[in-house]
Amino acid sequence: MMKRSRTTALLLMSTAPLLFTACQQEQTVQVQEGLYTSVEACSEATGDPSSCRQAFAAAQQQAADAAPQYASREECAQEYPAEQCVPQRTSAGHSFVGPMMMGFFMSQMLNGRAGAVAAPPASQPAFRDKANGWARPAAAPGGSGGLNTTSRIGAGKAGLAPVNAEPNRAVTARRGGFGNSSRGRGSFGG
Amino acid sequence: MKRVAIAERSNWRARAAEGGFRFHTIDGAPYWDETAYYAFTLRQIEDDLEDPSAELHAMALDLVGDVVASEELMERLAIPAPFRDWIAESWRRGDPHLYGRLDFAYDGNGPAKLYELNYDTPTSLYEAAFFQWQWLEDQRNRGALPPQADQFNSIHEALVERFAGLAARLPPPLYFSAVRESEEDQGTVAYLRDCAAQAGLHGAAIAIEDIGLSEDGRFTDLDDVVIGSLFKLYPLEDLMREDFGAALPGSGVQLLEPAWKAVLSNKGILPLLWQRHRGHPNLLEAHFDDGRALPAGWVRKPLHSREGANVAMHMPDGRWQESEGPYAGPCIVQAFHPLPAFAGNYPLVGSWVVGDNACGIGVREDDSRITRDSARFLPHAIIDDAPAGNTRIYV
Repeated sequence: MMKRSRTTALLLMSTAPLLFTACQQEQTVQVQEGLYTSVEACSEATGDPSSCRQAFAAAQQQAADAAPQYASREECAQEYPAEQCVPQRTSAGHSFVGPMMMGFFMSQMLNGRAGAVAAPPASQPAFRDKANGWARPAAAPGGSGGLNTTSRIGAGKAGLAPVNAEPNRAVTARRGGFGNSSRGRGSFGG
Repeated sequence: MKRVAIAERSNWRARAAEGGFRFHTIDGAPYWDETAYYAFTLRQIEDDLEDPSAELHAMALDLVGDVVASEELMERLAIPAPFRDWIAESWRRGDPHLYGRLDFAYDGNGPAKLYELNYDTPTSLYEAAFFQWQWLEDQRNRGALPPQADQFNSIHEALVERFAGLAARLPPPLYFSAVRESEEDQGTVAYLRDCAAQAGLHGAAIAIEDIGLSEDGRFTDLDDVVIGSLFKLYPLEDLMREDFGAALPGSGVQLLEPAWKAVLSNKGILPLLWQRHRGHPNLLEAHFDDGRALPAGWVRKPLHSREGANVAMHMPDGRWQESEGPYAGPCIVQAFHPLPAFAGNYPLVGSWVVGDNACGIGVREDDSRITRDSARFLPHAIIDDAPAGNTRIYV
């Protein structure tokens, strides 16, 4: 019986898009999903800046068609922070007031074979309401239903689905309280 | 067990670069060294290293429950009083652990002798799990090693599998943390984060210095997101005594390695193991240091030294060897059992346990009998018809 790994791989560390070394290749498909507030945060988390840029751009294109629609800034501001409520226009030309996209959701299939990401990432815009709850369009990107270009004023957040990856936040009072023993030592491992 | 010279792969630096291995040379001196490898037989691996590692690991874990239930033993291990309940609770709750490394003196004959457990912040992981594996594959493919050559190293697979099992047991979000300026530590956490990602477990990275503390005593990242679980390549005993340490028990953060590893990353576990398993073939006699002069034939080590620092060796012939370092505090004494010499090199065998699975080794070799952070990492292979002598080279 072999005493070593049948295969090893690096997903994030390698300089190649996917370094896959194996003596017996196996098909491994993984889906990596996340809600990101910036391309930088996405690149950091996934190690894949080019997909992040693509996903961000695609989400931004859908943002006006996916945003909840309100007749006025006041109505919008009941559910979203007022400074995020701006006049917008859908791709079909309907005007409304709605929240700006505050982040994007990216879902990516990672294919172990051939060292490449299988397909361009799927992405959707994400909106953050006053309670800091994140939501994205209920319909899958590119699908039909839920996301449409006709006027939905009055429907509010009905076309959105909450994103459960909502980060738990707390206002940071201090930093730098760990790491002081590191002065004068190169490594902390052993 | 033999030390066998072998030609380096001409492209190994390129392989290192493409695999993100940035610390193969440290301060101009080689750390990764593939000018030779250690050849083991399968029997040596399985009987002398793998099985004893699994057994010693189980023996050590068996002790944790007793230690955390005893104020006296916690005191003996110099675990600060304010953290004892927190550590005990993490054990009772069964907070999961990821990995550890047992360091052995072994020369191919007779039982391997346990020097110590690195159960809180073990490094040399990436090079053992990944880069060493790639070396073996490359050398087999080139014909420099025989086709039946194998390696005791399923560490990578074990890590990915372990992370998959941990996914449901670590409150999100998960962060991987190390000292910002340490290339070696950053490389190790980058690799672990990579393994987690391969298991579908997403983890972010944060420098240990960047961790924040909120008014209500929770740890935060740079965007004020509350850290749910924290893998920290940073000694628990340092975390506890630093400015934010007092916040650890009430913060709700789940640590990896968990708080109860404070019991096992402590050299005090060595005399405790000896007390309970006196005469075990893989244990060296060990006692808590009572402050008397160190007799010939004994070695003194601080409870919390790492990288071979602050070790004093009083050899049976009366000579002394001591290493410098920043560690102080209570010590243990351990019976002198020198590392074997292979052509003037002193290899130490690091045996990896992932979860509870003894799954591989890495050999580090120093020019001195005390293995320091200057030690080089040499690959190993399992070759049952190991070439005779020290000189034969497959080309």
